[in-house]
Amino acid sequence: MNVLLAFLFLIQQSPDSLQSDTTKVIEVVRPAPPTDVIAMDTPNDEGESIALQWTISKDDGDGLNSVILYNVFRAPSKEGPFDYIGTVGAGRTGYDDQDVEKDKVTYYYKVKSQTKDKVESEASNVASAQSFPQWFHHGRWNYLIFGVLFTFFFAFYLSRAKVKGTKLFIRKIAGLDAVEEAVGRSTEMGKPVLFCPGIGYLYHIATIAALTILGKIAKKTAEYETRLIMPNYDPLVMTAAQEIVKQSYTEAGRPDNFNEKDIFYLTQDQFGFAAGVDGIMIREKPGAIFLQGVFYAESLILAETGHSVGAIQIAGTDRVTQLPFFISACDYTLIGEEMFAASSYLSRDPVMLGTIKGEDTSKVVIIAVIIIGTIMGILGGLNIGPFGTWFLNLVNWFTRG
Amino acid sequence: MRRQIPLLLTFLTGVAIIIAFFIPHRPFNEVQDILIDWAIIITGFALLLGVHSLLRKHITHIQRKDSGWGFSLILTFFFIGVFVAGIISAFQYKGYSLTPGSSLYFVYDYMVIPLSATMFALLAFFIASAAYRAFRARRLNATLLLVAAVIVMLGRVPIAENAFFKFLTRFSDWFMFIPQMAAKRGIWIGIALGAFAMSLRIILGIERTYLQ
Amino acid sequence: MKERKGLIIGSVIMIAIFVLMFIKGEPSKSIMVWIAAILTLSIYSFLYKDNVFYKFAEHLFVGVSVGYSVSVVWQNAFIRRVFDPLFITRTYIVNDKFSLYLFLGIVIPTLLGLLMLSIFTKKQAWLIRIPIAFVVGSYAGMGIAPSFQANIFEQTRSTLYVTLSISASIMIVGVISTLVYFFFSKEHKGLLGKTANLGIWFIMIAFGASFGYTVMARISLLIGRMQFLLHDWLGVIK
Repeated sequence: MNVLLAFLFLIQQSPDSLQSDTTKVIEVVRPAPPTDVIAMDTPNDEGESIALQWTISKDDGDGLNSVILYNVFRAPSKEGPFDYIGTVGAGRTGYDDQDVEKDKVTYYYKVKSQTKDKVESEASNVASAQSFPQWFHHGRWNYLIFGVLFTFFFAFYLSRAKVKGTKLFIRKIAGLDAVEEAVGRSTEMGKPVLFCPGIGYLYHIATIAALTILGKIAKKTAEYETRLIMPNYDPLVMTAAQEIVKQSYTEAGRPDNFNEKDIFYLTQDQFGFAAGVDGIMIREKPGAIFLQGVFYAESLILAETGHSVGAIQIAGTDRVTQLPFFISACDYTLIGEEMFAASSYLSRDPVMLGTIKGEDTSKVVIIAVIIIGTIMGILGGLNIGPFGTWFLNLVNWFTRG
Repeated sequence: MRRQIPLLLTFLTGVAIIIAFFIPHRPFNEVQDILIDWAIIITGFALLLGVHSLLRKHITHIQRKDSGWGFSLILTFFFIGVFVAGIISAFQYKGYSLTPGSSLYFVYDYMVIPLSATMFALLAFFIASAAYRAFRARRLNATLLLVAAVIVMLGRVPIAENAFFKFLTRFSDWFMFIPQMAAKRGIWIGIALGAFAMSLRIILGIERTYLQ
Repeated sequence: MKERKGLIIGSVIMIAIFVLMFIKGEPSKSIMVWIAAILTLSIYSFLYKDNVFYKFAEHLFVGVSVGYSVSVVWQNAFIRRVFDPLFITRTYIVNDKFSLYLFLGIVIPTLLGLLMLSIFTKKQAWLIRIPIAFVVGSYAGMGIAPSFQANIFEQTRSTLYVTLSISASIMIVGVISTLVYFFFSKEHKGLLGKTANLGIWFIMIAFGASFGYTVMARISLLIGRMQFLLHDWLGVIK
């Protein structure tokens, strides 16, 4: 930003204007300086930085309207000498001095405004501060509190499930119940099953959720002796998928039916991948198609092609913008969180189910925050008691970090 | 051991990142950038596995003269050609292989771009066929979906200039801002909670399918 | 069968139009524009049915895009991040002093990357889990904060209101009922069931609106391609 401003400043000093400056005698009118300069340690950093704030000059945007820059000066003592350290444009009310040499040493600052004719104002008041390193980011309390609270819920239900063996309920998720039906139908028709993990990488949470669903599907295809095809976008997903499917086939007692070459790499280009998968769909005519993972614009290209070959389709993604297309083109769709719940749903492992219960409790907390916050807002809007301030504090608290 | 070491590594990296988020001091504030940089190198090696898988498949096709082996030949040919073009461009332009005028840039501009744009534009047809099917579905949910779609579509493209369409434009804006946003917010919050639970399960080693 | 006939007639008409335009217009003299145009038409031929042209374009697309990404990764990952700093620029030597910290910063990820290749051995293939665990662990940790910010804090804050207008009430009811739909640990019966049902209505309405909102954007993509064919290639539109 500063570089840009300096550049703009240079443009302003074009040769003709300089010439006219030297030939004409101009009456020099000094702009008003900025006022109320304050200096303080830049919060939440590793030190060696001091933040300045000031009130703009009277001639900035108003008055003579001649101010275009503010120059910042720094000195090791109150008396000086003050060295120029940087410039910001008109209208700006602050500067971050990132080049403080030493922490815990007092530095003194003053600011001057400047016109486009390079006329500087008198100096502002002198402000001083020391910089300090911080070891905790105070703007991130909200993350810490919510993170700890949610983790506590998970840990609570997880340990209850583990220790007491409490049976936890999980509601029906139609898309996951349909897995068996889809693979079965595909087998009856003598057609292969296609699993497409989308264009996410292995480190996307949705892709990992998709892989747990893949494990379940692979067990079914192993049982039914149906071919499972999986084109890949990320080579790491491919490697992980090969191992998962191999494991499922071994567990089903049919390790010989596992064909590593059916889980292959295609390309890491979004539409190249879509073109390739479309080609596979048209040629192999799968009876069941699973579109699970991270999808972008190619979602509908794949889902419509899948529909045109008459496959039963089960989709799932956490990309909210693509969900409408899956809903309209597929037989079943796992919407966002439903997909993340899949591994717990399919495994029925009490520890996994414990984390689902934790999620639900967290939802109750958020619903409570919304309701209480709105009540505070309405009471505050009616100027009743301290609710207005409380409401503002709550809203600000959420915007920190 | 073959399980424990990877699980321990997942735990350590995950926890390190989370702790580093709260500490604005060196070396913690650098952890995230360093790990992203490392991930670029690591996933770079992973691409070799991908290329191996793809080429093995197509070279076998060519060797066995399976039906359509000619297409496998085309794929292999273009892969090698573009890769070589990329290496040459990188040498020519001192590492910036995508400088306009380089052969890699040429390939990108006249092959990757038009092919991608055309695949993307297929959506115009697919969105129409998907809408048509939604129109025929006689379930309540599908009807709700369709009615909302029609309202917003007509609101975005007023067919005639009259009071009705003016109202529809304003109504569809409201529709996007309020009811549409309300459901999206609910879904987003759910996704964040689900993803958080999933991340914790991964870091704690409860979720380990990806490490089979 | 009817559909087939329609498609054949449609394609014939389309081809006729293109031929006519070809005669009438000023076709591009650039061979690259011709290649781009032929590839574009080959992809569109998929809408009719799978055919040689589409297969050709598809295989070319996959080959070209993999070749492209390998050469980009080669440059960005291997040359710029490993080879250059290790052997050419030697970034680990600062003021003539060897910095182990910076040196390991290059060597560790390279070794982790090399472990990927363990998959090609039979006995040590498990070593690939180490780089996988590293990548998944770091991104699992990294994803949490942005997701909290964008999906929880931002969305909760925007749902707080100071007046209970109709819009505000719809928003609050919508957000809460959608959240209730995602309750997994309770059966959707009674009040909970009714609220969850309201939630799914909201979800469907939202998906519909989002669908309708995208339609025009997608059609403009098609217009863009047509412009390429008619302007850049055939020169019918000026």
